[in-house]
Amino acid sequence: MSQALNTDRGLTYPGNVGCPGCGANIAVNHALRALGEKTILVIPACCYAIVSGPYPQTALKVPILHSAFACSAVTASGVRAGLDMQGDTETTVVAWAGDGGTFDIGLQSLSGAAERGDDIIFVCYDNEAYMNTGVQRSSSTPYGSRTTTTPGQGWKKTRKKNIMEIMAAHRVAYAATANIAYPDDFMRKFARAREARGATRFIHVFASCPTGWGVASGHAIKIARLATRTSVFPLYEIENGTDYTLNAGGDLPVGDYLTVQGRFKHLAPEDLALVQAEVDRDMALIQEKVAATQVRRAFFKSA
Amino acid sequence: MRQVLEGSHAISEAARLARVQVVSGYPITPQTHIIEALSQHCADGTLAARFIPVESEHSAMSAVIGAAATGVRAFTATSSHGLALMHEMLHWAAAARLPIVMGEVNRALGPGWNIWMDQSDSLAQRDTGWIQLYCEDAQDALDTTLIGFRLAEAVNLPVMVIIDAFYISHTYEPVDVPEQAAVDRFLPPPNPRFRLDPADPKSLYPMVGPPAFMEMRRSLQDAMEVAEAALAQAAAAFKTEFGRSCPPIEADGCEDAEIVLVTTGSITSTARLVVEDLRARGERVGLCKLKLFRPFPAEGIRRVLGRAPRVAVIDRNVSFGVGGIFAQEIRSALCSLERRPPVFSYIVGLGGRDVPPETIAEIYRSTREAAAPDPESRWVGLNPELMGAAAR
Amino acid sequence: MSAWSRPPLLFPVSHTTTEANRTGAWRFARPVFRPKTAPCAAACPAGIDIARVEMFAARGRLHEAWQTIARENPLPAVCGRVCFHPCEAACNRAQLDAPIAINALERYLGDAALAAGTPLASFDAPDLGRKVAIAGAGPAGLAAACFLARLGVSVEIFEAAAEPGGVLRWGIPAYRLPKAVLAREIERILALGVGLHCNRAVDQAFLAEAAGRFDAVIIGVGFSAPVRLHIPGEDRVADGLDFLRRVQTGQTEAPRGEVAVIGGGNTAIDVARTLLRLGARPVIVYRRRRRDMPAFIHEIAAAEAEGVRIETLLAPVGVAADAGGVRLTLQPMRPDQPGGDGRVRAVPAGQAPTVRHFAAVFSGIGAEVGAFWHRPADEAETLRLSHCALRLGQHPIAYVGDPVTPANSVADAIGSGKQAALALHTLFTEGPRAVARALQDCRVGPGPAVSLEIYQGAERAGRASRTVAFADINTDYFPVAARRHPSALPPGRAAATFDETLEALAPGEALAEAGRCFNCGVCNDCDNCRIFCPDQTVQAVRDGRRIDLDYCKGCGVCTVECPRAVLEMEEESA
Repeated sequence: MSQALNTDRGLTYPGNVGCPGCGANIAVNHALRALGEKTILVIPACCYAIVSGPYPQTALKVPILHSAFACSAVTASGVRAGLDMQGDTETTVVAWAGDGGTFDIGLQSLSGAAERGDDIIFVCYDNEAYMNTGVQRSSSTPYGSRTTTTPGQGWKKTRKKNIMEIMAAHRVAYAATANIAYPDDFMRKFARAREARGATRFIHVFASCPTGWGVASGHAIKIARLATRTSVFPLYEIENGTDYTLNAGGDLPVGDYLTVQGRFKHLAPEDLALVQAEVDRDMALIQEKVAATQVRRAFFKSA
Repeated sequence: MRQVLEGSHAISEAARLARVQVVSGYPITPQTHIIEALSQHCADGTLAARFIPVESEHSAMSAVIGAAATGVRAFTATSSHGLALMHEMLHWAAAARLPIVMGEVNRALGPGWNIWMDQSDSLAQRDTGWIQLYCEDAQDALDTTLIGFRLAEAVNLPVMVIIDAFYISHTYEPVDVPEQAAVDRFLPPPNPRFRLDPADPKSLYPMVGPPAFMEMRRSLQDAMEVAEAALAQAAAAFKTEFGRSCPPIEADGCEDAEIVLVTTGSITSTARLVVEDLRARGERVGLCKLKLFRPFPAEGIRRVLGRAPRVAVIDRNVSFGVGGIFAQEIRSALCSLERRPPVFSYIVGLGGRDVPPETIAEIYRSTREAAAPDPESRWVGLNPELMGAAAR
Repeated sequence: MSAWSRPPLLFPVSHTTTEANRTGAWRFARPVFRPKTAPCAAACPAGIDIARVEMFAARGRLHEAWQTIARENPLPAVCGRVCFHPCEAACNRAQLDAPIAINALERYLGDAALAAGTPLASFDAPDLGRKVAIAGAGPAGLAAACFLARLGVSVEIFEAAAEPGGVLRWGIPAYRLPKAVLAREIERILALGVGLHCNRAVDQAFLAEAAGRFDAVIIGVGFSAPVRLHIPGEDRVADGLDFLRRVQTGQTEAPRGEVAVIGGGNTAIDVARTLLRLGARPVIVYRRRRRDMPAFIHEIAAAEAEGVRIETLLAPVGVAADAGGVRLTLQPMRPDQPGGDGRVRAVPAGQAPTVRHFAAVFSGIGAEVGAFWHRPADEAETLRLSHCALRLGQHPIAYVGDPVTPANSVADAIGSGKQAALALHTLFTEGPRAVARALQDCRVGPGPAVSLEIYQGAERAGRASRTVAFADINTDYFPVAARRHPSALPPGRAAATFDETLEALAPGEALAEAGRCFNCGVCNDCDNCRIFCPDQTVQAVRDGRRIDLDYCKGCGVCTVECPRAVLEMEEESA
């Protein structure tokens, strides 16, 4: 971890209106440390659209363009085009969307930008439900979770959409998962994405939501770290949609992560076993792809 | 230079001459030729612009919003369902006060699928905060587009330049295409009042609560209220540069007319022939061409129509449950007058049905002969056989 | 055409910042930086700030690491070799994998400072104009001298032997503590301006005379008289401590053949291993069980590895002359109920005693005071502290070292000398009534060890006395990592020489080992609090971290993510 003393607050102003322990705020702080001041954020409807300050305020020292819900990716594409036409190729354009604005209503626009290879970084800070409207399920809400639209015994019975595979299928130049609990890895990935200009980059950020998940605000990082240490949210990178690198996972049982959260409190041991099996299968798939990548690279190297 | 162009290309040529910097679009008949032409220009290097081929009209408008927020001149075009899909972003662009210009080709909305002329698409967007300018032919489309950029940038409101499906969009006409140098004089590079700039970081379009929202909407209304004068000024400058006028309302022989016909779009050209013919036969008939629909030029309407004994409004649109939309707006503009001319409302040519001179002559006749306007709009040219089949 | 003017543009664009939102008002608890006491430090008789030592060492700041040790213990290279390191037993890391190799790290740092010739910090205290005489240049006396000198007191040490060091010089064999190391650490103390007079035995006459010349006297002459066995023929038993002393002065001869060493403590081990190196075949004879031996486990293991035999549950009951040696009568014993001290007693097992022939018999059962006045009398005006006793009055006398410390270790002796030094300084500056309180206030954690740094009111004085428990540590930051061990001479080779048996940690290993330390309760600038604060309210300032309470929402992330329990949440008063 960085030992550099830093008396300023980076590129944010204090006084944002996020909940105590807001993971999205932590994500923004990490990201801007790596991206620097030559950055423009395009933010669709999401928690952070509000957290970043209601009129006439802003919480950031970089420009923000608030967009409608469905279209942050293409709005960023438009900003990119406008900057390019004015000769500004230095500024990084980042779409900063929640899971709704990525997995659900924003997916079409994201897919379009990714297919075109637009020169933007699309960041999904994933808190696994519509938190801004009061915790409704999204297609990023994981199996087993209770939300206000998957309440009681109607807790979510389907798994979370695999957005990384969707982006890999687009063959985006760079896709990575990042976790607010791993700041070095997080910032490295944002710096790498910033440097990989000229193509679409996608970063899937795990941003805990103590309010929506039913954990103490002080445990925002602890719970996020558990997501990776249980391999519920492994950290990995995909280059050009085919080359996989695994950065971090873990073999703690998923129960360590699930049972400490209000949204999963109702799960029975057999439900936990089901989630564990699914996590194991997902992790095995990633590992297969990592292995395949290594074999392929070795082959081309030797050829 | 005079060229033979289809109406779509009159608009794309105007956008090229305006040196738009970012264009985005999504194909939809009958608009497609506009963005095709512009993407060709970008590919050929005859236009120094970035073309963003998006996956929906919602994205097309979002893309130009993003681009315009950086301060560049941005353009898109659409039609019908595409415009309807954009609806959310039309609100966004207007309240964002971005001077975007959009070509819009009037087309019906389904079901059933119908790709032909109908004004219901653009009129359904009348409350989004866009300036709406209706064009009569290809030359008008080119001129209006150039004026549209100047107007949009003058008042920080987006402008929709509207042409008829096929009757204008796909019809080749001789068009006087101005020289680039002259256009550059008329339309200097954009000088935005605000833009995204890392050196002066601002948050554009954050949440606005009740304490400020109304004032912002009032500011948009204020801009709309000066837009007509700004349009007149732009049109005057245009006339100085290019010699052609492009007024918000064009009145032809309305002062002493017994009946004034009110038209928009290509019907105006048809009506000109009918009016000429009627006058030759001694009828006192006037013609009022409405170009500007938003902001609605109420004062001009009162000036042109206020003393007419009878007004017949020809609507190629319908607001279900009310009737012709132009007629309604004209009635409400006139209602402040002490002596209000009776307004006869006619609905014609929906979904691309032809509106030949006979239909307009019938409208004139019907207006002259009726004792008073019907309480509701009169639909002209319905097929009784089909209507009867429906009744059975 | 009507004229028009552009109306003002009022639309959603920021023109101020969120700084106007004093989100601190949301808070119902606030994070507070409250450095705490590490359990290792609390267990260290010398009161070393171990958590901070390792924090510096892990970051490669070896000089600061050593200065942190030396502030509390002027003999790091010595203690890094001979200390029984109760710190490691208290180490929280033991509950995760294995305790930090604190002792080996202390030696590493001590050796590094010796190699660099780093002097002890003098702290530039003003001269108090007071003089103290110290009887005995053992660890307690040397420590007392060092701390007094640092506090501006003139010190003269009077040592009966020809060289300073006491038990360190005469009692501990060279294979555990090379004498050059000791000599250089003593020199460094003397360099603070301490006067040393060797071959000057202190007696009661001296005390009487000193009363006039000195403002106080410290008696730290240690246990110098051997404990007696009280068995027939005891005069045929050689004194182990005397034997060790003679080896230090050059004796290189020992009996041939099997030699019995009586005892189970470190002295017995030292005697046996020294005999081994001089060619004898030593057998340790101990009256209780192996597990009851007071010697350090690692010393016992090293002795056995080298070839020392250990026989337990055998009590010597008589010694007699024999051809070529002695006959030792040994009574087989059995364990019985624990006695008053909690230790299992040994009682005769009922079998008949056996008689064994040995080339010689050595006692290694410890020592005691050499004269009655070496320990404090029970007087009303005597202030008894944990590691020293202070006779107040017109001619103050402080008693330090073995007779007054709870355990007779080098570290306890150092703690004892320091306690006496601080007590006398308070006595000189604030009078007798302030002494108890002042010593109370400079305890490390719950005590009993005291700290010069705390006494001086420096950074460590801000440390809360609460010791950090394992449960307070955020172990997410500490993956299991193997403890590093210094390498040792192969036992076969070790037994043949007086070369040091243990080597120092390699530099990379030392830093890695220091990096295993939790740094319980001590901020190591890991920056987690700043990096993870969702609201960027933690700022790094010159001397640490500051929390902007105008904006801190009290979420507690910083406190949870503080790996070492420096931060804690404190409820806001309503």
